[in-house]
Order: sequence, then structure tokens, then C-alpha cells
Amino acid sequence: MAAQLINDRRVLYLYGITQSKPREIPKLVGVDRFAPIEAVDCEGIFCWVSRVSALDFEKNLASNMENLDWLAETSVAHQRVISAISRVIEILPTRFGTVFRSEPSLCKHIAKRARGLKQDFERVKGADEWGIKVFAIQPTAVPMPTARTGKDYLKAKAALLPSRKPKSIQREDIIKFEQALANVATETAPAGNVSRGQRGLSFQTSLLVKRTQRKKLESVLEKFAGEWRRERRIECTGPWPPYSFVSRPDDKVKAK
Amino acid sequence: MSATTNAVVFTGDDPGDEMTLLDILDHVLNQGVVLRGNVIISLAGVDLVYLGLDVILTSVETALRHVNASALSPGK
Repeated sequence: MAAQLINDRRVLYLYGITQSKPREIPKLVGVDRFAPIEAVDCEGIFCWVSRVSALDFEKNLASNMENLDWLAETSVAHQRVISAISRVIEILPTRFGTVFRSEPSLCKHIAKRARGLKQDFERVKGADEWGIKVFAIQPTAVPMPTARTGKDYLKAKAALLPSRKPKSIQREDIIKFEQALANVATETAPAGNVSRGQRGLSFQTSLLVKRTQRKKLESVLEKFAGEWRRERRIECTGPWPPYSFVSRPDDKVKAK
Repeated sequence: MSATTNAVVFTGDDPGDEMTLLDILDHVLNQGVVLRGNVIISLAGVDLVYLGLDVILTSVETALRHVNASALSPGK
């Protein structure tokens, strides 16, 4: 193991990009929970990186990502770093697993994208991302009927669960809600698809909201939550760095 | 600190807040600036991860639905 560490090359794991460098760099460790975060100056664009094992993050990245324990720990570390930097300075967050072999190669790619990145900085200036989800509220617990066997218990328990698309949800209400949110946000984007299988999830979206509009967002959420008190629960997560508003439709094709 | 007002649950406003893993994965895997490094991001690998997560999320639900369906079937 020690020999492996000694021979293991280091590569640059990229977290995000900023337009300047704060006086004090947040004291953080990166996705490997060991190497510190650094800001690499690529001709005035600052790339936030940590130096990680090429074995873990280059050679074995794809197979590591299929290991849910590894993915969970590493993605949380990735988010924590970006979130900590975003509390100090505005950052364009990079997608998980973006790795470069050297500083020159990193800066070369940044230079190619400089114009697009500048537009992205303008787009998200003074704004945060918020995640909104609406869930159908499960009916209040009713006493479980006496079950003589495990199978009877499971049958009774399954009967109490709401269907995946609750009938009580009226689409018009959701459309009104969506419109009210769009009035407060500067942009909206489809929410990620990892959590789409959550039970009772009726609607989800990501919003880009100017910090000056935050109170208005809260008012909209409170208003609908009040109206839906017994039927639906609204979950609001944020402020997130603007993950959903910095990727472009053709990025996937380019990345392949 | 997470806060609940009426039926709104706010999470994430405080550095001590823990976002749920699903929310984090939604953001960090699916979104963000995509740069092509020397190491090419394996999107095929990510798709496999999505598949894995979906299977986990739905497997319990599917199992319960089967139980539920058999409970409703006549003659069972």
C-alpha cells in the first residue's frame, strides 16, 4: 500500500472556477480527505483543485463510481468543498469527476472555454440555486390490522402506502405553483434525475434566484404550503452553487 | 439548521446542514460545468450509477406493489 502511494501519480481534481482569488483560501481538504485545496491561476481565471491519486481518480474512476459507498463519500466531499468556496466568492461549480493531468493542460482547456465561462459568470451573478420538491403527504397512520403471518403484515403495510402518482394531486395547482416560482426566479431548470424515484414526489425543479429575491421565494413557498397543508409537503434545499445553470446542452456530446 | 414552517421544509441554509445524499448526487453528477480533461469523463459510467440508484430506490417499492397486487387478486 505504501509503495503504491509512493508510485501513484497525482492528478488535478477540479471543483470549480472563480474570477478572482480571495485573500484567504478556505482551509479545506479535497475529495480524497487528505490533499488541501489550491487555486491555480490560469491567466486570471482561478481553478480550484486538489492533487489526488491517479489510480483512484483517473484509472479507476468509472469503477469507483459504481461503488455506491465510495460515490457517496466522495460526492459529499466534492459538494462540501464547492459550498465552502461559494461562501467566500462566486464560483462556477464543475461536474463531479473532472480531472486533469497537469496545470498546463488545465489552463489550456480553460483558455478555450474562456468566453463561455465569462458569460456563465454574468448569468449567475448575485444568484443562488434552490431545489424545490413537492411530495404528496401520506395519510396519517391508521392502526395496523392484526397480522398473523409476515405475509399478512406486508400486505397490510403495502395497502397503506400511497401510489407512486397520487390521484389527489391536481395538475392545475402544480402549474400555478410552477408559474409563481418562475416569476421569482431568473431561470428555471429541470431537476436532476437521481432522486426522481422518491416515493410521493409530485414535482421538482431547480431555480436560479437573485439573492435580493430570496424573501419573495420564501413567501411563495409559504403561501402554497399553507394552501396545501394537508395534501402536500414542499421541500426547499439551498442555497446551492449554481450547478444546474452552468452546463450547456451540447456539453454531454463534447464530454463523450 | 433545517427549519419547517407550515409545510415547507428548508434545508441547507446553514453550513452545518446536511443535504440529503440524493440531492447532492442530483447536483454533482448531473449538473455543473463540463470540461474535457485529459481524462475523459465516463458518462457511460455515470449512467450505470443512475441505473443502480434507481434500481435501489424502486426495488422496495416494486416488491411491495407485487405483494399488494397479489393481495388484490381474486382467489389468492
